[in-house]
Amino acid sequence: MTDDELFALVNDGSICIINGERTMVHPGLPYVWGGVVGFVMLLASLWMLRTSVKNSKNSPRFNLISLPVLGNLIRYITTRAWVLTSIKSISVILFLMVIVAGLFGTPIAERNLATMLTWNVWWAGLILAVFFLGTTWCSICPWDAIATWLVRRRLWLRAEPNNSFNLRVPKQLRTIWPALLLFTGLTWLELGAGVTTNPYATALLALIMVVLATLSLSLFERKAFCQYFCPIGRTVGFYAQLAPVELRPIDNDVCLNCTSLECFHGTDLIEPCPTHLVMGTLKQSTYCTSCGNCSQSCPEQNVAWRLRSPSTEAIQESRPHWDEAWFMLGLMALTLFHGVTMMPFWSSWISNFGQIINDSGQMLWTFSIGLIISLLMPIFLYAMMVWLTKYLTRTTLSFRRVFTQMAFVAIPLAFAYHLAHNLNHLLRESIGTWAVLQNPLGNNMLPLSLSEQYFRHMQLQPHQDILFAVQAGLMVFGFIIAIKVIHARGQYLFNSSVKFSAWKLMPVLLFAVGMTSLHLFLLMQPMTMRM
Amino acid sequence: MKKIFIIIVIALLPVELLLAHHVLGRPAYSLNEDSNTPPSMQVETQIGNYFINYMVYPAFPKPNEPGRINLYASRLDNDAPFTGEVTFTVRDDSWFNQDEEPLGKQPVDDNVFRQGFVFAKDGNYVITASFKAEGEPYIIEFPLRIGNPAPIGPLGIAFGLIALILVTVSVIQRKRLGRLKVRQAQQDINV
Repeated sequence: MTDDELFALVNDGSICIINGERTMVHPGLPYVWGGVVGFVMLLASLWMLRTSVKNSKNSPRFNLISLPVLGNLIRYITTRAWVLTSIKSISVILFLMVIVAGLFGTPIAERNLATMLTWNVWWAGLILAVFFLGTTWCSICPWDAIATWLVRRRLWLRAEPNNSFNLRVPKQLRTIWPALLLFTGLTWLELGAGVTTNPYATALLALIMVVLATLSLSLFERKAFCQYFCPIGRTVGFYAQLAPVELRPIDNDVCLNCTSLECFHGTDLIEPCPTHLVMGTLKQSTYCTSCGNCSQSCPEQNVAWRLRSPSTEAIQESRPHWDEAWFMLGLMALTLFHGVTMMPFWSSWISNFGQIINDSGQMLWTFSIGLIISLLMPIFLYAMMVWLTKYLTRTTLSFRRVFTQMAFVAIPLAFAYHLAHNLNHLLRESIGTWAVLQNPLGNNMLPLSLSEQYFRHMQLQPHQDILFAVQAGLMVFGFIIAIKVIHARGQYLFNSSVKFSAWKLMPVLLFAVGMTSLHLFLLMQPMTMRM
Repeated sequence: MKKIFIIIVIALLPVELLLAHHVLGRPAYSLNEDSNTPPSMQVETQIGNYFINYMVYPAFPKPNEPGRINLYASRLDNDAPFTGEVTFTVRDDSWFNQDEEPLGKQPVDDNVFRQGFVFAKDGNYVITASFKAEGEPYIIEFPLRIGNPAPIGPLGIAFGLIALILVTVSVIQRKRLGRLKVRQAQQDINV
């Protein structure tokens, strides 16, 4: 690349100089889009403050199996175990390829299948998949599939229960605190220890997931790992509250009259629900792993995929718990932290802070302190706003109750930013995956030159302007759902105890405005690319 | 006399370790398209008052193939280059191994410390560069892979752990089921 071409790229904002090095950056959202989102936020906030919510008990749903042709196909796929096992097998093969490529392939991240497939395609695309398909990832999760095949020793159908101790998970562990801890650990490994650019470490992480899933399945009954420990499963589960699809009973009366509960207990051939769910009372998709056991075991064939409004569950149907509230807020904080670490100013922050605390090398102490502060700051801010709301409404409800109930506001805020951020990664950084699939170990490959990096990251399809429009749309989507959550849950909490006025929810609204503005600011900055 | 010397060394050792900055940077691989040189491995880091940049040529050295380390050190506050001497040592990056071998002691040459190397065997090594500035010791460590060492360790550990879990559960469950059957048979006889 000539100096003139390089100068043009620096002017263009595609390359910036960080610590004296030329670094590729993805251009941020144009100011005009920022202005549009800001204007919609203002209108939506005013709407919330001036209108009252009508809680509709039965928001419209559409059974996908009632579609001609496609409906039969969906029913066939969801009631045949071998279909899911076949898709699972493909996922397992790719997962094993990641391990082999990571351990035996080139250490050049952008040329190795382990890092490309895991971080640029799967990790970036997973959140997008939740947006369309809910928790379906969990149904083809490779580490759970490998662990299940090893422990249960069956590819599908019900296995002998004696291959596991089938212990009940201790009461203290029957929360998702372990998942929050593991998700924080995963973020530390990803952004602090640099697993995303290290194929070898990526393979080790994959092996660790298999060992943990196998250990949990050998010790505990059903799928305790999926339910309580898996950071990916819980992230997918909470985001799936905003998915437009759900697995639910076709006719609630059939479930009401059911006494055998095959969906919960399983049958002679079909495993029980891995996360102890009863289809007739299911209101929240968070713990559903879309495994299809319920649709296969129901003698009435009363379970099916349905379309719904993406806001229904977060607004009114999900029941809040203390640990879940912390997970949702933690998810929002860590998503924000992801964005901050990819800003060009992050490395100079780390360098300056590292000098103050006399840190050196990979700056892991500095990073860890930054991670903890970033995790706690938004939660602290949220707690302050909850306290203020409590004060304004003069409610007798406990702080814990209000904190837990209103925490659902974090999900749309986190999900929208996560989607917008990941879309950028996915569209720009997954280019070249096909070439890597043809040479998964990256044998005899050279690192990408600066011009190759430029063409890979800037020549994206669809056009960049479409990406910007979608990102802006996602921010609006997240904010509007957040407002609906505040409105509906606020009214549910306070309407009976005080004369309710939406103005009294202003602190939580300000929190949502603040977080969305912060997300928008990050999206409008140039973002350093991962590899 | 020798005993007293060892005691003094041991007594001073923790102080030395405490003052030293231990560094393990993250490697990146880059290709210079302006020249025909092979790709290089580069690690940037900061340690104490210094910003360190070290590069390894070629990025993927093979056994019996000569390679070179270029190390640059400059002060963080005013970019002034370090002009003393840097000592390079190497050790095999296997567990519990602390045996280091000297590579060389290099003076500065045009603000760069250049250290050549040739390794006879495939393996994962750790290169240590150390220097003293303003009376304080600086130690920088970074990984260097020679050839294609077989990564048996993590695979072996993972397979071993999984096998251990499966076999342990299987044995305990078989014993438990056996005891249950015996108990059941005894109850049937008693009935």
